[in-house]
Parts: sequence; structure tokens; C-alpha cells
Amino acid sequence: MQWVHLLNANVQKEYLEMKRYLPNTIALIVTFYAIFLGMFAGIQIIGDPASQDVNTQYAIVNYIFWFLSIMIMQNIGWEITNEAMRGTLEQLCMSPMGLWRILSARLFSSTFLYLIIIVVLLVGTMLTTGQWLNIDVVTILPIMLLTLVSMIGVGFMIAGISIIWKQVQAFLQILQFILAGLTFIPLSVAPLMVFLPFVKGVDLVRNVMIKGWSFQEISGVDFLILGFNAIFYFILGLGVFLFCERIAMRKGLLAHY
Amino acid sequence: METIIEVKHLKKAYKKRKSKEYVHAVNDVSFQVKKGEIVGLLGPNGAGKTTTIKMICGLLIPDSGEIYVNGVDNQKKRLEALKHISAVLEGNRNLYWRLTVRENLNYFAGNRGVSKKEAAERIEDLLEKFNLKEKENELVNRLSRGMQQKLAIMVAMLADSEIILLDEPTLGLDVETGYEVRELLRDFVSNYNRTIIISSHDMDVIQDLCDRTVIINEGKVVTNDKIENLLQLFQVRAYTITLGGLLSDEQQRQLLQKFPQFEYTPDTVESTLKVNLLRSEEIYDLFDVLKKENTPVEAIDRATVNFENVFMKIVKGEFNHAMGPSS
Repeated sequence: MQWVHLLNANVQKEYLEMKRYLPNTIALIVTFYAIFLGMFAGIQIIGDPASQDVNTQYAIVNYIFWFLSIMIMQNIGWEITNEAMRGTLEQLCMSPMGLWRILSARLFSSTFLYLIIIVVLLVGTMLTTGQWLNIDVVTILPIMLLTLVSMIGVGFMIAGISIIWKQVQAFLQILQFILAGLTFIPLSVAPLMVFLPFVKGVDLVRNVMIKGWSFQEISGVDFLILGFNAIFYFILGLGVFLFCERIAMRKGLLAHY
Repeated sequence: METIIEVKHLKKAYKKRKSKEYVHAVNDVSFQVKKGEIVGLLGPNGAGKTTTIKMICGLLIPDSGEIYVNGVDNQKKRLEALKHISAVLEGNRNLYWRLTVRENLNYFAGNRGVSKKEAAERIEDLLEKFNLKEKENELVNRLSRGMQQKLAIMVAMLADSEIILLDEPTLGLDVETGYEVRELLRDFVSNYNRTIIISSHDMDVIQDLCDRTVIINEGKVVTNDKIENLLQLFQVRAYTITLGGLLSDEQQRQLLQKFPQFEYTPDTVESTLKVNLLRSEEIYDLFDVLKKENTPVEAIDRATVNFENVFMKIVKGEFNHAMGPSS
């Protein structure tokens, strides 16, 4: 039950802060939508008319995933840096639940809240473009869950790095371009990217939403790769985080940024 | 009384970035804290107090040494040990400024795995006690510094842990709020069976609240004793004698021989002489010197020593006090 109370407290905190920083949240959504409109206009004006519809659909799915990955992974880095600057990180570290559990709750909470925003944005982009994607919830849900697990794993790595290196802001700026690469490049172009985090998941969601794949059309091997990828990156991320936390506690880096 | 915190031979060194030299922030620190005590952890800036506190809180890993919190080894079972400890380390900076008073309390309770329902009664009680009931829905950034500090202490009290570590709990507070905080801390120790370790530069707070002090200087414990004992030690030996004239050179030479640290302020009308006696009987030796030339004695005052004087003398190494608490 302690986990539930922890999660509940963090969902509420994330929601309240999102509400208190409402202009920021609105600016974020508006910026996202404006950039999407720019991309859509580009496809319409200079894109090949024969493949315009498919390109638009790819743009929607890729862009949505890019936004989601930035929100989950970059956000945790900013949060850690902010908490250290504010002086609250040490308080969190003093919880008998352990910092990694608190961060898990934070990651799950922010993922949940951003997923709601994503759904709104997805509908908004589909309405704007008139391109309706295949939203097969039964097929998308398990893929999304496993994809999010590997995203959270990478989020842990970034959180760990943020605790140790004060100059992480520069890295976080670059990170969004790395994430763009991971979400925009299809596996058919670069098959070896299957070993990278959440690429397989994004690829499968693309197939479901654009090509209309159903649950039966996804092979067991695909799910196995997806599951392995999720578990591998989650464990790796958590391991990196715990290692970084230990270094921070040895060197006294939990406060005074 | 049962020991609740045991610190044994604690060492912590930091590497300087440029010179790569090691700075020994804490060097073989050992002390114990009994259940229900209020202990002051004192020392000048950079003495190693905060490093020691952070190691007790499990926020810093010591290079060597052991810390037992309620019998739990805080290095082997860190999270288990943390169940018994809460702390206010950076005062009002330990709070979320864009959340309200109640939201902060709910959040920190949830972070310790406590349900909102379970925490509700405790929060109500604390809001009443700390006089913040009217401000429960106010954002923290709109509260005064004193209220923010009280809220930070409430967060620590909310945890229901037996040990509370407070780093500068009254820093920046006005006299009234500082007094209020002291009263609350005293109440928590006597009525809620808590043990408190306070680190502060405010000697009035330490003198008023603490049963015992552990003074750290240059990473080492230099004194560990009850405040009343320390005050008594200084009280009986420090005298200020007002003289109705000047001392001769010969008298000054004799005084220097017997009382090497005596302070003499000459004045043709009223000179003063300050001496610290090792034994009370030495006052007769002093009078012998004065009597030789019939120097008139106008007044003898036993100097009032406050804890700040004691602290300064100990830290400056002017007083070598045996280690370990005396009863």
C-alpha cells in the first residue's frame, strides 16, 4: 500500500505544479502545436503530392512520440536539477521509501499526465490534417506500456547523470535531437536501431496506427524483442541511477548546485 | 537512558578540485545521544557539523566509522535507519514554494508511504500547534520567513520519527517566532518522546534548549558535556577586580608569574584586572600581591559567563576540557 500512497502523492504534486505553472503548460502545448503546423504546411507545400497522406501520418505519429519522450526523459533531468537547486532533493533522499521509488512515482505520474495531453494533441493534429489514424487501443496499449517502461529506464539514467553533473542542462538540450533520431528513423531504414531503447515500440505503434496492423499481425518475436528491450533498459537505467546516487552520496553532491 | 544515536570514529575527507588535496571535514568523531535528549552540535563554520549531520541522515557516506540509529547500522540498512530520522537541513528551502502549506504536508507524508487519511489527523494537530491553521491553503512563497521555517519543522515532525535533526532552526527568525519555535521543540521532546540534535550558531537557543553540547572544531570533537557543567567550570574561575589606582611594575611582574593570562587595564582613577583562576584558593595569592603595596580594591565581581563565551574559549583552544559527558 505504501507504493500506492507514494504514487498518489506524486500524481497530485505533478498535477498541482502543472496547474500552478499553467502559463508554462499552455505555452508548451501551443509551441508543440505550432511546430506541428509548420511541419504539416511543409509537407503540403513542398512534399510529393503522391505520398502526402502517408507523410502526414508519419509526421503525426513520430512527432507525438518525440514530444512524449522529451517530456518524460528530459523532464526528469530538469526536475532533479531544480530539486537540488531548491534544496528539496535532500529531503526526498531522506525518505525511507528511497529516492529511486520516489522518482519512479514521479516518472509514472508525469507519464500519465503527459499521456492525457498527448491524446488531446493527437486528436487536435488529426482534426487539423484530416488524417485519421487507426487507434486500436487493444493493440496499442500493451506496446505503449512496454515502450514507456524502456523510456522510464532511460529517464532513470538521465536522472542519475543529473545528480552528478551540474552542467547537465547542455546535455539535455542535445538530448532532444537524439530522441528525434530514435523516434523519427524507421527500423526498415536502420534495423540495428532495434537494440536502442523504445525504437521497436515506436516502430510497432507506427505499423498499427498507419498501416492498420492488428494484434494478431504482430509476431511473438516482435513482442519478445519489445519486452526484452523494456526490461533491459529499465534495469540498466535503474542500475545507472543507483550507482550515480551512491557516487553523489560519497562526494556530497545531493545539494548545493 | 537508552542510547538512540551512536557515532563511532567517523571520518570524511573531500578532495579539492584543483590541488587534489584532501580536506578532512570530519576526523574521528565519536559521540552518543540518549533517548529524549536535546543535544547541540556546535562548531565554527567549516568545523564539520553539517557533514556529521548529513552522515547521520544517510545523505553522505562516511570514509570510515559507524553510525547506529536506534540500533540500526545506517550504512548497511540505510532505508531502515531513515524510518527513525527526519531533518530540517536547509530551512525554508526544503519546501515546495508553489504548493500550499497543506499540500506540502500531504506530499511529504505521501513520500514516506503514509496515506492522506492517516496523515490527516497528524496534520491537523501540527497546524494547530504551529499556529498555521489559518494559512493552510496559502502558497508557501506567500508566507513569511518565520512561517516557512515553522512549516519546514512541521514537515520533519510529521514523519513521526523518534529523532529530529535541525540545522539552524531559528536562522533568520524574529525574536517572537524564534521563541515560539523553541517552545514547540521543547514540547515535542517532553510530550512526544522525541530526541533532537540541533546545530546552530545562536548560542542563546543552544543554552536555552539543549541538555548537552558536542563541540566540533577542525573535524574533531573538542568538548562533549552538559551546558551547566561547562558554565560552572568557567563561572567559578573568572574574576574582575576593580582597583582604586595603578599596579606597580613589580606587582604586574608577580601577577604575570602566577596568572599568565591576566588582563590589566590601567587607569589612574579606576583600573581593572581580569583573572582566570585554576583553583578558587588562588584568589588569596592575588590579594597577597595587591596587599604588598596596599593597592585599594574597590570591587570584586565574579564574571558572568554566558555560553557564547564558553564556546569561544573552547573553540579557540583556550580551555582544555576533558572529553566525554560528565554527570
